[in-house]
Amino acid sequence: MTAFFVKRLAFSVITLFGVLTIVFFIVRVLPGDPALVILGDQASQAAIDAMRDRLGLNDPLFTQYLRFLGGALVGDWGVSMVSGRPVVEEILKVLPATIELTVVSLILGAVVGIPLGVWSAVRRNEVPDYIIRIASLLGLSLPAFVSAILLLLMFAITLRWFPVMSSGQGDTLADRARDLALPAINLGLIMSAYITRVARSAMLEVLNQDYVRTAHAKGLVFNVIIWRHCLRNALIPVVTVVGLYLGILIGNSVLTEIVFNRPGLGKLIVGALNQRDYTMLQGMMVIYTLIVVLVNLLTDLVYGLIDPRIQYS
Amino acid sequence: MNSHVQRGAYLRQTFRAMGAGLYSAFNTNKTSWIGLGLFGFVVFVAVFAPWLAPYDPIDQNILNRLKPPSADHWFGTDQFGRDILSRIMYGARISLVIGLLAITGALIIGSAIGVIAGYYGGILDIIIMQIMDVLLAFPALILGLIVVAMLGPSVTNLAIAIALTAIPPFARIARAPTISVKQREYLSAGRALGFSDVRLMLGHIVPNILPEILVMGSLWLATAIRVEASLAFIGLGVSPPTPTWGGMIREGFENILDSFWLAFFPSMAILLVVFALNMLGDGLRDAIDPRLKDAG
Repeated sequence: MTAFFVKRLAFSVITLFGVLTIVFFIVRVLPGDPALVILGDQASQAAIDAMRDRLGLNDPLFTQYLRFLGGALVGDWGVSMVSGRPVVEEILKVLPATIELTVVSLILGAVVGIPLGVWSAVRRNEVPDYIIRIASLLGLSLPAFVSAILLLLMFAITLRWFPVMSSGQGDTLADRARDLALPAINLGLIMSAYITRVARSAMLEVLNQDYVRTAHAKGLVFNVIIWRHCLRNALIPVVTVVGLYLGILIGNSVLTEIVFNRPGLGKLIVGALNQRDYTMLQGMMVIYTLIVVLVNLLTDLVYGLIDPRIQYS
Repeated sequence: MNSHVQRGAYLRQTFRAMGAGLYSAFNTNKTSWIGLGLFGFVVFVAVFAPWLAPYDPIDQNILNRLKPPSADHWFGTDQFGRDILSRIMYGARISLVIGLLAITGALIIGSAIGVIAGYYGGILDIIIMQIMDVLLAFPALILGLIVVAMLGPSVTNLAIAIALTAIPPFARIARAPTISVKQREYLSAGRALGFSDVRLMLGHIVPNILPEILVMGSLWLATAIRVEASLAFIGLGVSPPTPTWGGMIREGFENILDSFWLAFFPSMAILLVVFALNMLGDGLRDAIDPRLKDAG
């Protein structure tokens, strides 16, 4: 277990290092002089040179690279070129809203997706299976912004059940829940489409196993076999979904936040792109990488908790 | 003696077998035919858009702005009085061209990387796959956003950005079967006959893994079209006035409260093509995946 953990940790560190390196060079290649961005078009050449000096842009590339790596490690990700406030501070301010949205959506996706996937597998090639398969395929064909707009049209504009724009910062819990409802349903339904499909195929594989036949033969109740014996084993691939589809989840959360005008990493990165806020972009890429690496590490560890057979070697 | 003829015959045979395999895969899962039909319809509309579209997609007609769907304008008009149906038809071209360019590129480059990594193995394999894993770890949309912001939004640049995100999965898909095919006897035989590595890879490994890669291609084409629309929605699509589905939805979203048709119909167009491709690829994947043969 320890050896496995150390190995996974080492892999995570290598990944992190690799992406940080790529991020550093990507940001250097972006068109436009950061000093010019900060000072505006009217700035004199002397002022621009002074600013370049202050930002350390005149140092050798390798020095800048080392400084960037060191800063990234200790949480010093520079200062936003637009707001002038530390990048870390700006990110931490909106991070809870994004985490709230994605975690609630994931739970929603699992609550809807796992039972549907199991049902679909048990009733394989019958009407419920066909309906669930088509519905889940439809779910993962919907770009998140399209489904978000459809939800808005139906529930916020036609039925007026929810606010059109959610601030994500309601005072009371009820306000917050109302704000969160549509974005979370949007993201959750898309996740449930992925989870349903994985749960179904994992369940189908488990249903063919010998021990399931034995359970049937010794007269166990059908529901006990399905929910206690099969589901536990079918859950292993479902957990991988979280790691595997994390990129999709993040992409979809960006689009969801934009449509519902909800504060979060998504709105922050699009704003940074539009305003060419390079330090902010750099920080955003670092935080996304951190999230991806951490979640993948976690899913690997959760494996062992669900499935004691997995040897951490 | 006449190795060219033999080789031609061999290749014909291989491709005929592959074609037959794909045909039977289609028949195993009827949904693939529906997906192919729907996708064919979209391709048809895109190719013949200039003849099919009732109006010019760019001509503005301010007197006719924000008209709801009617007999003259089936899907209504937008804020500049442009016919939405015509814009959707032309928009299909951008989506398909960018998607096909990106996925063809990713398919060729990704598969080549995967086959080379799997064929040579060792340290090269480890390094290549490590780089692929790092790329894979990064959310596709975010990578796309940054690359397009870096290069500027044009058809080629969008295709490059999307291709970059799709290379790692193709490398992975190509690598695994390469490793198993590498150990077959006919490959040792080829090696004993002195065939070059390139010939072994192109002539004997690639035909074996091609069906799987092509099926992946149809699924990733769906993803590529979705990502292109998402980028356009965020504002990083091909510049206006060229109609793109994502861009139309972006513009329509501003008028969503009183003129829903602006965003609604292009949304349905994206859904149709992505759903069609997913149906096509999904059915085929189930049919050719031996693990799922009896799990249909």
